[in-house]
Amino acid sequence: MTRDAGSPETDAPADEPAAPGGDPASTTAPDRRRFLELAAGGLGCGLVAAIAVPAARHLVSPVGRRTVVRASAPIDVGSLEQLAIGAPPVRVPVVAPIVRDAWASSRDVPLGAAWLQRVRADSVVALSSVCPHLGCAIGWDTPRERFVCPCHDSSFTPAGARIHGPSPRDMDALPITVDKGRLRLTWQQFRQGVPGREVL
Amino acid sequence: MSTRRAAGLWAWLDERVGHRRALADLRAARMPGGASMMYVFGWALTFLLGVQMVTGILLALTYSPSVSAAWASVAYLEDQTTWGHLVRGLHHHGASAVVITTGLHLAQTAIYGAYKRPREINWLLGVVLLLFILGFALTGYLLPWDATGYAATQIATGIAGSTPIVGDGLRQGLQGGNELGNLTLTRFFGLHVLILPALTVTVAVLHIRLYRRHGPTPRWGRPPAELARTSQPAWPHQRVRDLGAMALALALVIIAHVTFGGAPLEEPADPSAEFDARPAWYFRPLFQALKYVDGAAETVVAIGGPALVIGYLLLLPWLDRKAERAPRQRLAALGLLAIIGVAGAGLLARSYVDDAADPGLAARQQASAERAAHARSLARRFGVPAAGGPSVFQSVPYYAARKVWVARCASCHEGDERKAPVVGPGYAGRAWIRGFLVAPAADAYFGRTKLAGEAGMPAVEQTGADLDALVELIYAQTGATDADAALVARGQELFSDEEVACTDCHSIARDVAGDSGPGLHGWGSRRYLESLLDDAGAPRHYGPHSGMARFDDLAPSVAREVADYLVWLRTATEAELAALEPVR
Repeated sequence: MTRDAGSPETDAPADEPAAPGGDPASTTAPDRRRFLELAAGGLGCGLVAAIAVPAARHLVSPVGRRTVVRASAPIDVGSLEQLAIGAPPVRVPVVAPIVRDAWASSRDVPLGAAWLQRVRADSVVALSSVCPHLGCAIGWDTPRERFVCPCHDSSFTPAGARIHGPSPRDMDALPITVDKGRLRLTWQQFRQGVPGREVL
Repeated sequence: MSTRRAAGLWAWLDERVGHRRALADLRAARMPGGASMMYVFGWALTFLLGVQMVTGILLALTYSPSVSAAWASVAYLEDQTTWGHLVRGLHHHGASAVVITTGLHLAQTAIYGAYKRPREINWLLGVVLLLFILGFALTGYLLPWDATGYAATQIATGIAGSTPIVGDGLRQGLQGGNELGNLTLTRFFGLHVLILPALTVTVAVLHIRLYRRHGPTPRWGRPPAELARTSQPAWPHQRVRDLGAMALALALVIIAHVTFGGAPLEEPADPSAEFDARPAWYFRPLFQALKYVDGAAETVVAIGGPALVIGYLLLLPWLDRKAERAPRQRLAALGLLAIIGVAGAGLLARSYVDDAADPGLAARQQASAERAAHARSLARRFGVPAAGGPSVFQSVPYYAARKVWVARCASCHEGDERKAPVVGPGYAGRAWIRGFLVAPAADAYFGRTKLAGEAGMPAVEQTGADLDALVELIYAQTGATDADAALVARGQELFSDEEVACTDCHSIARDVAGDSGPGLHGWGSRRYLESLLDDAGAPRHYGPHSGMARFDDLAPSVAREVADYLVWLRTATEAELAALEPVR
């Protein structure tokens, strides 16, 4: 920085320099100067705090808050009749009737998909289509009669047990009940990439 | 760390950064003629702009610039985040403080003649900064996409559009196309948070550097020797005054926030709605001036007025070129500024006086404030549907069913032109059932139907506890969970009692029609009502006595919603029903 005057905040002639550190042209006593310095410092810190504290408080407010909310109630995924005993798995979309995302409320929001198989007359098994490895959508390989993940080739038996591939565990089962002929599925998501099943 | 090592680190850093020299320069700065409260406005303004920057960044972390989400995100910030209300209040009232402080800064600079040689360029930069600040105000006002911002922006883009020759292009460029919409919001948002801040910071840095080059302009009429003799170091003498002014400004902003209850958020913008548009107070003089002119004169005032004022400010250093700085010697130059100021203040005051004298306005504003409060309450409880904005009014449960009801059912079941029993709040509640049992042919019940006469039901003769028991039995059919089991059992006995004679006509067994009256099993429950909507003339219901149309054209999901609405009515109040009404 170059300046034509000796000090930045004055247009006093340059041939009248202020004595460094001193205060020759004013009658200010050292005590008063000290007081003003403390007052200025205190005011400065107070102003910064007055803005920084509310700002920080507001900034961290979403931490630990559920900003995306959907009802935990089971979701209707169709009728029991659509499934035949022993038939190949049927893929059904899981659609939440209502989801609150911060300010927005949306109806019929797709959450994911599940593979359904009717194992007995009154019993259905549901497997999440989310691969336990890294979350790709698992598909059904009809000729080989097994589940296959299209991303990293993990494969699973029709019951969801891991055959080979990088998936650290079997496919994740989802709670499902039959109520008056309707299938009611509870949607869950699980931690990916770990051997143990952990609901998020 | 030892003191010596700390000093070593300090020196190491200084070799690379050069902070010692910079700090020494700051400490050496002096105020010729002594520190003064007259010099605080620039730094107070810088501080306030810093507050705007911090609060603005926080707002941008929640705000969503789209027509469907803008209002909803601001309502969310206000009502559902921690201290979001305070952050927005500080930003809103801070904007007013910036405008006021800019005015004071400009007035002080003008009165002291600080625009004179060699400071002309810095005065120009100051006028440019003033324009940027008004640009912030104009663009920020729209962002919540509430009724106020929407209407004010209609007016602002309308004024821009009336500019001769370039008007239409200017308007379309500002609003991003042919109408106010998503592109208007994204463009105003971009101006407000990217372009204007970048320009303002750049020009403000130049403004401050030029100020430091030329130093403060002391009060007129003091010889250089006296100024030198009475000079004081800026630190701490001037800085403590600057900081005091900053603290005062912040305190006033906080007081305004508390006094006015934060920043206003009106009802969501609805282009079909009538709204009394009022601009931010600092644009009120222009708003008021436009009331006195029309036609071509309107364009002249709307564009020409501000252009003349800005033009005069830009030219001032060259219109008032003498070295003399004493205001008394510059009456013409300052007088014109004073006239502009007084005229602005006069128009501002007049605008508020006009509004206060308009009794209809207060009522309309009150109604609007109630709609705004209603919309925010719905947004807080149910969220805003994806369509955004005014669709918040549809988020209340039973809104859709109520709409079907109003279109299909209300003409017979509500109001004076009614042809059927009243179905409103309290329907199928205990009082409604009791009223029906003691006088089935009363006007509110079968009085206007085929069942008013001989074909209808005779009044129940039981009174007292027996009547209570019959009421409770019917009430229990609705599925209400607060039915008294003992009373219901007693009611069941009475119902089956041949003396009481209910069963002469009715049945209360599941899915069994009565001999000549409706089956009462599940009466008033959702399933019953769905079935009634489907066909009230079914044998299980009113058979040939039904005067009600079939509503089997309703989709099952819609019929279910309407039935749910009817069940809800049992416990609903008039006020809750009123809250469902489409606001307009």
